[in-house]
Amino acid sequence: MKVEDVVCPFCGCLCDDLVVEVEGTRVVNVENGCTLANEKFMGDHRLKAPIRRAGNAWEEISYDEAIEETAAILLDADRPLLYGWSGTFGEAQSVGVHLAELLGAVIDNTSTVCHGPSIMAIQEVGHPGCTLGQVKNRADVVVYWAANPIEAHPRHMSRYTTFCDGFFVKSAFRERKVIVVDVRETESSQVADEFVKVNPGGDYAVLSALRAIVRGKRDLIPATVEGVSREQLFRVADLCMSAKFGAIFFGVGLTMAQGKYKNIRNAIELTEELNRHTKFTISPMRGHWNVYGSNEVFTWITGYPYAVDFARGIAFYNPGETTSVDILRRGECDACLVVASDPGAHFPRACAEHLARIPTVQIDPHVNATTHLSRIQIPVAVTGIDAEGTAYRMDGVPIRTRRLFYGNYPDDLDVLEKLYRIIREARG
Amino acid sequence: MNFLLNTGRTIRQGSSVERKNSATYREEASAVSMNPVDMFEMMVEQGDRVRVKSGSGEVVMWVRPDPGLGRGKVFVCLGPYANHLIGTETHGTGMPDFKSTPVSIEPTEEPVPSVAVLMRQCGGVPYEG
Ligand code: SF4
Repeated sequence: MKVEDVVCPFCGCLCDDLVVEVEGTRVVNVENGCTLANEKFMGDHRLKAPIRRAGNAWEEISYDEAIEETAAILLDADRPLLYGWSGTFGEAQSVGVHLAELLGAVIDNTSTVCHGPSIMAIQEVGHPGCTLGQVKNRADVVVYWAANPIEAHPRHMSRYTTFCDGFFVKSAFRERKVIVVDVRETESSQVADEFVKVNPGGDYAVLSALRAIVRGKRDLIPATVEGVSREQLFRVADLCMSAKFGAIFFGVGLTMAQGKYKNIRNAIELTEELNRHTKFTISPMRGHWNVYGSNEVFTWITGYPYAVDFARGIAFYNPGETTSVDILRRGECDACLVVASDPGAHFPRACAEHLARIPTVQIDPHVNATTHLSRIQIPVAVTGIDAEGTAYRMDGVPIRTRRLFYGNYPDDLDVLEKLYRIIREARG
Repeated sequence: MNFLLNTGRTIRQGSSVERKNSATYREEASAVSMNPVDMFEMMVEQGDRVRVKSGSGEVVMWVRPDPGLGRGKVFVCLGPYANHLIGTETHGTGMPDFKSTPVSIEPTEEPVPSVAVLMRQCGGVPYEG
């Protein structure tokens, strides 16, 4: 059976034009997808049944047993952490937030180690963003700052920018200029019209220099700024100011480097300066599939986008304190529920060590690094393949994913609702 | 020799991210990319193993050349190998220094550990199923 207009459940682009061929409970062919999509749909490497650590070995257990034991772990904890959420759909994320409130837990999503600092900057100075459709149809200058879309969002350039003609940009190849700013050469920098190579940690200074130029203060700019020549800075500023519509996309190269959220604030303020001359927008390249959705769902329930602490009975948010890495670093949480992410692989080693010390339970379709650190893992259906729900694209557009077949796994929502019911009953 | 460690996504890391016990993932996640001139000075060739140390930990990886990297800079894709080197300081933002960790690198004969072994070093119990 061929299914059309399938939504890819891998990266924040949420491409919705895939054609997927299904035989029984297997995907046998994918059209239009990138390498990452093909692997996501065709790779069949799922954990077969719930597993529990038994001493130095593992044993299979039933779903009921796994869920009941998870509930007991969470009920027993004084400061549980519920982490992850980006690989699942909004309806499941919503149950997660209610579960956190019931438990007085901290709930955090993967933006904490991704675009969390972007959100902090947006909270300070706002977000002059737009949808990807606007960029595709209007932008004649596109800037990728500290992002490598060819590796991380492989179809971003072909669906929306460099290689994609739009309504007002009839020939992208001739009419769209692409600027890549990065600390290293990448495949993306090779296709740029202008590649700006910045010293590591130098983004803030380069952004400030561009702001000064856009403000008309060219005489203040020294011969080089963090490895970038004055001439190139002038050229880049001129390109941006002469654009009819410009779009900046920035990656975690800005959020993770020195300066963290202050880099993003500076980039947003550069966008503001550019808007004195022309129309310019700025957007983060959200990586992990529905991470934007986790920010939306957390925000419409609690008022905060990530790192929400319910210990006081009300929602409290303070990045640096209620963020997962800080909580794990301080050895503060005494149980952890991981849903649809892999902190074992993506958090610093000392955090992984704390996850191994406390009872950690993982709800995830696949064996990953966190599996080895967990006490229990509960496999679930893969959202967008055998589970359906709502996810948000990187530009904040909600898209309903499709279920391609009915498999044998419960989905995240089934498992979390059961968990919620048991815990609510126990709490009375 | 001393280097500045940068981390990020690669397409091969993304393709094998749901198979973290696989040889493909291990190969990609444990590769440290380095400027060829630095490799020459260290007298290491593509595929040679090196011990990478930071203030937070150390791990054995294998080297591959990347002329796109400046001298003194190395790149490892995000994952458990890179994270063996990254500290937990977040400067009050929740975000560790994934893009700029000073490391020292020296050749070694020791083998590159598997993801399961790395997690055992963190206190976990490898699941090989
Ligand atoms: S670019 Fe992202 S969303 Fe689109 S097909 Fe590739 S992995 Fe999927």
